[in-house]
Amino acid sequence: MSQGSPDAPVFDPISLEILWSRLISIADESAAALLRTSFSTIVRESNDFATGLMDANGDSLAENTAGIPSFVGILPRTLKHFLARFPKESWKPGDCVITNDPWMATGHLPDFTLAAPIFHRGRLVGFSGSIAHSPDIGGAGWSSDCRELFEEGLRVLPVKFLREGKIDETVKEFITANVRVPDQVLGDLFAQVTASEVCARGVSEFLDDAGIDDLSALSAALQERADKAMRRAIEAVPDGVYRASLQADGFDEDETRIECAVTVRGSTLHVDYAGTSKQIARGLNSVLNYTYAYSVYPIKCALDPLTPRNEGSYRSVTVSAPEGSILNPRYPAPCSARQLTGHLLAGVIYKALAQAVPEKVSAESGSAPTLRSVYSGTDRQGQGFSQVFFASGGMGGTSLQDGHNCTAFPTNTGSGSIEAFESISPLIVWKKALRVDSGGTGEFRGGLGQDVEIEVTSPTPLRLSMLSDRQKYPPGGLLGGGPGAAVSITLQDGTRPHPKSRSILQPGDRLSLRFGGGGGFGDPANRRREAVIADVREGYVSAEAARTAYGLHDAEEG
Amino acid sequence: MSVARVRIGVDVGGTFTDFVLVDDHRKLIFLGKQLTTPRDPSEAIIAGIERIVREAAVEIGTLDGVVHGTTLVTNTVIERKGAKVGLVTTGGFRDVLEMGHEIRYDLYDLFLEKPKPLVPRHLRREVDERIDATGAVLRPLDKAGFRSAIDWLLEQKVEAIAVSFLHSYRNDVHEREALAILQAEYPGVPVTLGSAVAPEIREYERSNTATANAYVQPLMQRYLARLAEQLSGLGHRGTLSIMLSAGGLATIETASRFPVQLIESGPAAGAIAAALYAKLTGTDHLISFDMGGTTAKMCLIEDGAPEHSSEFEAGRVKRFRKGSGLPLKVPVIDLIEIGAGGGSTAWIDGMGLLKVGPESAGSEPGPVCYRRGGEDPAVTDADLLLGYLSPDFFLGGDMSLDLGAVRQAVDAKIARPLGMTVEQGAAGIHAIVNENMAAATRMYIAEKGRDPRRYTMIAFGGAGPVHAYGLAKLLKLRRLICPLGAGVMSALGFLVAAPAVDMVRSYVTRLDVADWSEVNGFFEDMRAAAVERLVEAGARVEELTFTRHAEMRHVGQGFEISVPLPDGALHGAALDEVRAQFFRKYEELFGRRIDGVGIEALTWRLHATAPQSDVTLSFAGQKGDTGGRIKGERQVYFPETGYAPCPVYNRYALRSGDAFRGPAVVEERESTTVIGPGSTVAVDEFLNLIIDINQPAGTMADPGADPGASHADAR
Repeated sequence: MSQGSPDAPVFDPISLEILWSRLISIADESAAALLRTSFSTIVRESNDFATGLMDANGDSLAENTAGIPSFVGILPRTLKHFLARFPKESWKPGDCVITNDPWMATGHLPDFTLAAPIFHRGRLVGFSGSIAHSPDIGGAGWSSDCRELFEEGLRVLPVKFLREGKIDETVKEFITANVRVPDQVLGDLFAQVTASEVCARGVSEFLDDAGIDDLSALSAALQERADKAMRRAIEAVPDGVYRASLQADGFDEDETRIECAVTVRGSTLHVDYAGTSKQIARGLNSVLNYTYAYSVYPIKCALDPLTPRNEGSYRSVTVSAPEGSILNPRYPAPCSARQLTGHLLAGVIYKALAQAVPEKVSAESGSAPTLRSVYSGTDRQGQGFSQVFFASGGMGGTSLQDGHNCTAFPTNTGSGSIEAFESISPLIVWKKALRVDSGGTGEFRGGLGQDVEIEVTSPTPLRLSMLSDRQKYPPGGLLGGGPGAAVSITLQDGTRPHPKSRSILQPGDRLSLRFGGGGGFGDPANRRREAVIADVREGYVSAEAARTAYGLHDAEEG
Repeated sequence: MSVARVRIGVDVGGTFTDFVLVDDHRKLIFLGKQLTTPRDPSEAIIAGIERIVREAAVEIGTLDGVVHGTTLVTNTVIERKGAKVGLVTTGGFRDVLEMGHEIRYDLYDLFLEKPKPLVPRHLRREVDERIDATGAVLRPLDKAGFRSAIDWLLEQKVEAIAVSFLHSYRNDVHEREALAILQAEYPGVPVTLGSAVAPEIREYERSNTATANAYVQPLMQRYLARLAEQLSGLGHRGTLSIMLSAGGLATIETASRFPVQLIESGPAAGAIAAALYAKLTGTDHLISFDMGGTTAKMCLIEDGAPEHSSEFEAGRVKRFRKGSGLPLKVPVIDLIEIGAGGGSTAWIDGMGLLKVGPESAGSEPGPVCYRRGGEDPAVTDADLLLGYLSPDFFLGGDMSLDLGAVRQAVDAKIARPLGMTVEQGAAGIHAIVNENMAAATRMYIAEKGRDPRRYTMIAFGGAGPVHAYGLAKLLKLRRLICPLGAGVMSALGFLVAAPAVDMVRSYVTRLDVADWSEVNGFFEDMRAAAVERLVEAGARVEELTFTRHAEMRHVGQGFEISVPLPDGALHGAALDEVRAQFFRKYEELFGRRIDGVGIEALTWRLHATAPQSDVTLSFAGQKGDTGGRIKGERQVYFPETGYAPCPVYNRYALRSGDAFRGPAVVEERESTTVIGPGSTVAVDEFLNLIIDINQPAGTMADPGADPGASHADAR
């Protein structure tokens, strides 16, 4: 590197800062290329993608800044499967390997993971990788009621999609023949190829600028820094075993129970899920990679939110779950809607950690798991359509502030515009409003969920696929805080569509979706009076609830 | 429009209000500066105008015009000091403004702060009405309900009303009915309609824009009216124009109606000035780099014009963090702004790594060297230690800098904790702030699918020329332009700009089934409205130019790209050309094209502008120095050489045709240009420094770029 003093050692705190931020910006540029060229609504609405840079050993060096929790730490794990199948020596410039195998990669079939080698001056110096949610993967579409993996779509084991820059026509044909929108699916795979090219070009230029031959020494230095930061953060948590459990609706009679033990010993932290429900014959199973990602993510948020991520960040954290459990299912368990289980983990881990470091965690989130409804059929012009409705419940309260209204956690999915939604689907949204009294009571109140009302205006019936939970067991509060409001899904006649299955909606049907509120934090008796009064004035809390939950008298309302 | 005129440009900044007077008759430019008067910015404006006309010996009554840009709107939103606004929405949707995109802009911060809506929930009222995506009325406006909503809001003493109904971009009938009621029954209440201020699809952004407009309107109306009054009191008989965020000029009537369009008024002027230099120097691909005390702004100038964007995020609650502000649908010049300036402070993070910014010491307390109580070493402090700035010639010697205090602070806060020397610490601060700016610039250019190496950079702002050389090296640029008067470039931009209008309609359709008569119809309407407004601003119809764009995407994609539309009426036959344009643009951005997927258009735009002014760049108004070009020598640090003796040039003694080699430091009043070893400097006819940078040959390899072109540019 030409900056810094000429006589300084190679990786002094200045060069290291410069080199590190440069690598992150390469991952970010690669992510920008992917985001802008992808078709998948899920990629853009939910940020459901990630890019990363690995060294020649397959260890992660840098990840894009805005990546999503589902993919934390997964790229290097998948790459190691690729390397087992294609030894390092067999990779040529222009090769791209892909897979969507849930166990090797991200836990369900719609995500494609792609990796490509980076060569510099004829030598393999690292790998670029990306994950993106494909517009379609065949099978049953996005639903949680399949009984076997095979119903859920096409499974692609690690294969060279590109060989030295040339597409493998057989692979292409397989994909084309098995998905509903092949142009878009292949288009998105090429978006991932483009992202890899951007990353490879960036790394090669970077090595030239830095005046180093490969990434190994730098990788070791960066991993060490990240590892140290995480270890220091864990050391600040008192040693001990912290246990918590959590109950969720699951599928019909198969309720989900998560048992969690967080063991902190010195600078290491282990999460174990022994005692958790067995895997089920519905798509709620969370493979170990996904379980891992959704365990590591909330831990990093709570303990070490600032350090950029790389392989070192996760070295001191380990995760285990019994084989055959819903958090570590055996092939070929269905797993399309694994978020309905994986999103629960942040809540149970925080419940455990609250025993040691309550000031660092939040109560359960009203969108853990997210509530999704997928509508498909024929629109008013007679064309086929399929739309996902994105919206969120409230976040849990923390030791410092009320939970945010309508904000997803642990996932970070946005919501689209209703005008845009209505312009491409035969649906009218009559209401999208904050759900009064849905935030769990507490010294710091849970965030509010929302009320949504959708009318079917197509000339023919539509298919509805629901992916939801939390009707029976609402999101819990912490340290005396009350639970958030439970989810509710009803039709105009009071009937309830199955929360995790496909059903038919008739023209004129009105569906009411009530998104959950976040859990409250701390004893509601300690809530500041002014906060309660402001809640009533703004209509976040009804006067009646203010009276019963917070003891506010009419006279105080002003 | 090359009528000879005498005009003044006024740029109200955070610290200084800058003035430029251009006299076309005498071909002279005069520059001026006044401390900004934050409580009433017009105080400094009036004082500065009085002073500059005196210095230029111009009779104020003969002035043709005053052009003005202001940060008042932006600051009002940032500081939340606007009016109490009531918002009326479609039933079921009053919380759109509060829910926003329902996203966390920082993935790892459990305690993140979200921007509060400009109107609290109890001042957002709903009325029964509904229009669908095709523009059909599903439920008529409940007029009685609307009246009672307004009555209630006025009882709450709101000072302005915003009305934003769903799909009003498609059919504004209910908003117009609401306006009619307000005008007839509640005269004098300022009203903003969503369909008037931002007739574009996406209810959150449109409602936000309408609300922000209402929020700043009472304040801006008062301010603009008072300014006009004070100017005429002074004897000014010419026009008073305001620069909009997109770089066009507007009358104060338009500016008072849509003050939200002034949100980026100040930064836009810098980009317009840079565009002028692009034309003067014949530079096709230019990066405008403006670095001041707290921020750096980068903007691409292609073929002599800055690029535009239709969205801007105001009032970010986390400094410079994308997503932490209020997204507005406002035509703006497409630029990025990051927390990197002379006042940005250095600190050591939890991992023991050196960081710079985004926090800034600003001008109060300022960097350590200002001796105003600043304790954290800032970029300016590092620049001083490295020899780039002179302790005795800061602001032309008006302010002397304390080198000893800087040494002490860098040693105690940076060097010793990191185990390095003071000089290494200073070099690190300079390098890291440059790297931060380079990373942001690379990302900004990468998002457009372009290669930074084809660009020349123009540097201005107080800290711009100090850092431009290092930044240009990181970006592998070959050429750097440093204009004279770097500190008042923005004010010059006001005088180049021309009256301009941006109009927009949303109509979502696949191209193959579009109703072209509808498209042609609304383009006609937009054109007529634009002509009316520009003629009002003093332009002649026959000199106006119009450009049209549509925002398009493949069906199913989430990002639209702006595609130029051919002139004339659009119809099925023009479709092939529109499609070809879409593919061309798509390939430019993404490097590939996709066949077999339909194309849809969402938003249709018309840009109308009068011709820009020719501004003469003869700085004869400034006294040139007749002394020697080299005024001394001092030790200056460069990464290639370490500290080495370096000549110091007097900018005011340099003449067109002069040439020399780096290392060199060129001092002028408001800034200092730093030029590294091996580079060559030539002074052109406009007294610009044209710096050709010596880039190591080995770093230029790029399989994707056209090597012929980049080398041709450089030689």
